[in-house]
Amino acid sequence: MGSVTRTKLMSIMALGAMIGLLLLPILVAIPALASDGGAPAADGKKEGGDAKVEKGKDVYYKTEGIVSGPPAPKTTDSEKDYPRYNFESRVLLWFANQQHLYYGSFVLAVPIFCMVIEFMGVVTKDKAMAKRYDQLAYDFIKISLTAYSLTAILGGILIFTFLTLYPAFFQYLSGIFRPVMHIYALMFVAESGTLYIYYYGWDKMKEGFLKWIHLSMSVVLNVIGTILMFLANSWIGFMMSPAGVDEQGRYLGNIWHVIHTALWNPLNLHRILGNMAFGGGVVAAYAAYRFLSAKTDEERAHYDWMGYIAMALGVAFLIPLPFAGYWLMREVYAYRQQMGITLMGGLLAWLFIIQATMIGILFLSTNYYLWQALGRMRGAEKYQRYIKYLVFLLTCGFLVFITPHTIVMTPAELKAMGGQQHPVLGNYGVMSAKNGGINVIITTTVLSFVWYMRGNKVSTVSWSKFGNIFMGCFFFFAYLNIILLAIYGYYIPANVRVGLSVPQVATTLSCLFFMFALNSVMMKGAKQMGPIEWGKISARSQYALIMLATAFTWMMGLMGYIRSSVRLFWHVNEIMRDNSPWAYTHTVGFAANMISANVLFFWISIMFVFWLGALAAKKAPVEAKAAVPGRAAAPAVGH
Amino acid sequence: MIELIKAALAMGWPALGILVGLLFYFKASISDPVANKRAVFKTFIGIIGAMLLFMAIANYKMNFFAESRLLPVSLVLITSMTFMMALYFTNISALLKIGGFMFFIAAALSGYGNWLPQVEGGFPPIEEKKDFSNMPQTELADEGEKIIFGGVGQNKVQGAIGKGQCPLCHAFHKGMLGERAPNLDGLPERAGTQIDDPRYHKGNPAARDSNQKEAFPGSGTAENAQEYIAESHACPSCFVVAGYGVKGTNDKESPMPAIHKPPISLSLPELAAVDTWLYVREGRDAPSFDEIVKSYEKFIPESDRPKPPTEGDAKPGASALMADGTEPVDQIFAKGQCVACHTIPGIAGAVGTIGPKLVEGTNAPLRIKDKEYKGKAKSVPDYIMESIVEPSAYVVKGFPDNTMPKVFGQKLSAGALKKIVDYLSQVQEGKEPPKAS
Repeated sequence: MGSVTRTKLMSIMALGAMIGLLLLPILVAIPALASDGGAPAADGKKEGGDAKVEKGKDVYYKTEGIVSGPPAPKTTDSEKDYPRYNFESRVLLWFANQQHLYYGSFVLAVPIFCMVIEFMGVVTKDKAMAKRYDQLAYDFIKISLTAYSLTAILGGILIFTFLTLYPAFFQYLSGIFRPVMHIYALMFVAESGTLYIYYYGWDKMKEGFLKWIHLSMSVVLNVIGTILMFLANSWIGFMMSPAGVDEQGRYLGNIWHVIHTALWNPLNLHRILGNMAFGGGVVAAYAAYRFLSAKTDEERAHYDWMGYIAMALGVAFLIPLPFAGYWLMREVYAYRQQMGITLMGGLLAWLFIIQATMIGILFLSTNYYLWQALGRMRGAEKYQRYIKYLVFLLTCGFLVFITPHTIVMTPAELKAMGGQQHPVLGNYGVMSAKNGGINVIITTTVLSFVWYMRGNKVSTVSWSKFGNIFMGCFFFFAYLNIILLAIYGYYIPANVRVGLSVPQVATTLSCLFFMFALNSVMMKGAKQMGPIEWGKISARSQYALIMLATAFTWMMGLMGYIRSSVRLFWHVNEIMRDNSPWAYTHTVGFAANMISANVLFFWISIMFVFWLGALAAKKAPVEAKAAVPGRAAAPAVGH
Repeated sequence: MIELIKAALAMGWPALGILVGLLFYFKASISDPVANKRAVFKTFIGIIGAMLLFMAIANYKMNFFAESRLLPVSLVLITSMTFMMALYFTNISALLKIGGFMFFIAAALSGYGNWLPQVEGGFPPIEEKKDFSNMPQTELADEGEKIIFGGVGQNKVQGAIGKGQCPLCHAFHKGMLGERAPNLDGLPERAGTQIDDPRYHKGNPAARDSNQKEAFPGSGTAENAQEYIAESHACPSCFVVAGYGVKGTNDKESPMPAIHKPPISLSLPELAAVDTWLYVREGRDAPSFDEIVKSYEKFIPESDRPKPPTEGDAKPGASALMADGTEPVDQIFAKGQCVACHTIPGIAGAVGTIGPKLVEGTNAPLRIKDKEYKGKAKSVPDYIMESIVEPSAYVVKGFPDNTMPKVFGQKLSAGALKKIVDYLSQVQEGKEPPKAS
């Protein structure tokens, strides 16, 4: 009894320590922020009691502030401002940055998964399932722990790359962010400390009240991780849409303005969702690898299930990602119309066509996986014959979604095309049609999920017939609404047409929330036609998971490149010009090659991390006899 | 292909040698015939796999900066290697297949990126120092057209765009659709009536409903057509044409940037050239250069006026550059005077014989291997770059040293050098030269 109390006390103290770690950077920062962050005053501005105070106007907020820093340096193409090896410095920085981002995203996403899965384990009533969930969450955090060290190493390499290749730029940027630089560093300390307490306290806090304390720790861990990411985002937000400085780039003493730039919030949302989808993809690929190399049925069953959970979590965040992307683009247009045009209709437009293709690939892979997964359920045959119609819908949506509309073309291209838009295809590329395309794809994915969720079940509620008809009608009218609005878009001016995206998105989200909710109610206490035979899924499905993960990694690299390139020849948009020999934008082909190299390096290195994780396995595997999740007590019968 | 195999052998011979050695060792040392056959066969597969891998690396190295779009071939080679290995090395078959599949996806996506039209963003425009104040009106109008559309006579070409970036949003001719901003056809005439629009509040800026009432405190409103044009450039949000405001602001704020500020930063003389073109192209007499500049001075305070480029502001040597890299490669060769001394396949007029014929795709690998070569280059692009910036690093037999000037490293921009290197890397003896422009 005394031992339990002591453990409880220790656990509460550990949680307190974590919260203390979380608050430490903020407490440390208060004096610094109160004194305007201690940013250096511009030369001679505060000398003597009667010295003149120079004021500047914020380039974004338009407020006045006291000039508290030097202007942005005017660099020249010289060894002093741009020291270099016998190689393009920008490519080296690109590589270092991308690798750090991949690992950073992974280690920020995985603890969120752990939190969700651990929570599912705590609330589930089935003890065997609870144990499985707990084991899964533990496996995840174990992988994350190894990757965490690598993230820190890559962060160090990134800083060294900046310091050695872009010293003037880095000095300026770190001068601007000086008030929060130490908070950023302390957040890393807090994240590491919290992660270690969370990981090493797992076994000690596995029951009852202590488990809840442990779960609370995962919340604290994720809060710290999220703040850390928001701070990192503020740097890129500042580079794209600077604020808190005057036209010469002089800091005006308000660090919140520097952080809270025009694009900060949409970037934050986009990155959280993106990280989650990416993390899901990586874990799903890991599970696929373990499934394909498994030697026993138990192993196959476990990793089939793990792959499904990771995929479902990843896709849950993938679905809202295009909407967050639209918001980000909208804010880009609102901030600088030219920037939006450079992205969507100008220099970088072809990269967006690749992005549209990637989104299509991601959803097609997801659907393919779900259709394959129907094969391991008895009773799901009734849905399989309709899959061809879903393929048709997805293909049509995909083709419309990737059709370009407005791209600044060369005279020769215009002549060949006979105008700014293709006479037929141009119509399918207008925004409402594209919106129609992607919403059809997402709605179809929702439908695939609904079919999967009810694959081996028959509803027993008295109103099931009515419920089924209602669901059918709901989906039918949803498709009709989305497609009709897409067609209606041709008959109205572009500025009105843009507004159609709202009802189209609302329709898709209604399907997502209402149909999932209704389906869950209908399937409560449903009759099972047969068990889900975990481990009996086809090998092809696992390749769909690998496709999902690789394509997502590639898309992340692509979007990061687009976001960074849109500044063209500015280090900090309109404030600090890039005068290096690499102040031009590479071709689409070069960018694609570079992204592939980054993606493959990441996957080769993360495989190494997985291997290390497997080596360090301390926990005994879950008892072979524990029921495989979702599996009935009776042995599974193969299809 | 033969080049690729040669490069792969040159790079991977130690590893390949070890594998061949192992093959003979297994053949001689394993007594069980079945095990012997298996070991020899697997080693043979390993040799093919290693060869494919080195070919992939060699291809990557040779094409990294080139415009040949052949880089994805490396990924395809690795995919083939992994799938072939997976067939025979069953204990790591899953890992090899997954790796191969990932390489295949990356190859497909890279290939897709290389298949699409290759658009490259040029270097930021180098600011030319021109005296607009003494130009005749037609010449000034031509300069204006260059600023708007990037060249004289480009105003009816869709997609033509210059430093001012105006056609991104505005249309300039009747019937052309400008959904983001008003069509500027007939602007000089319309400008005179716009100031009488009740929403404009001529002489009473405080009464305006726009978010920004004046260009700067005390600037007031326009009194004539030219001042209206100047005000709309300097302070687009002071008066927004109905229907063209930022969405959600009810036409109180314009999406257009102030033209004298970054990123466009047109100077007052450049703005005078732009305005002059707007008048002249409609057959109207434009106000004088001084009158236009004065109209802008009313709305742009002195501290905000972009300074005309001076020698000190320009990049070191920028004004003395022979080519800045925005030109097609054949023009770079012409501007750099390369054509006077060298024969360059595919470049019109490049028939010089003072220097060697530039077939560097074929020659460079041989010269790097030459015992007399003392330079540092390890690849074709490196060799070409070295020959340009440091011509004496290797002097081709039969040609005297110190003939080629050593200033091209300073006289050509990095972009121009890159284009030259990319082009020459692809020129091979007996093969069709690449497209020059």
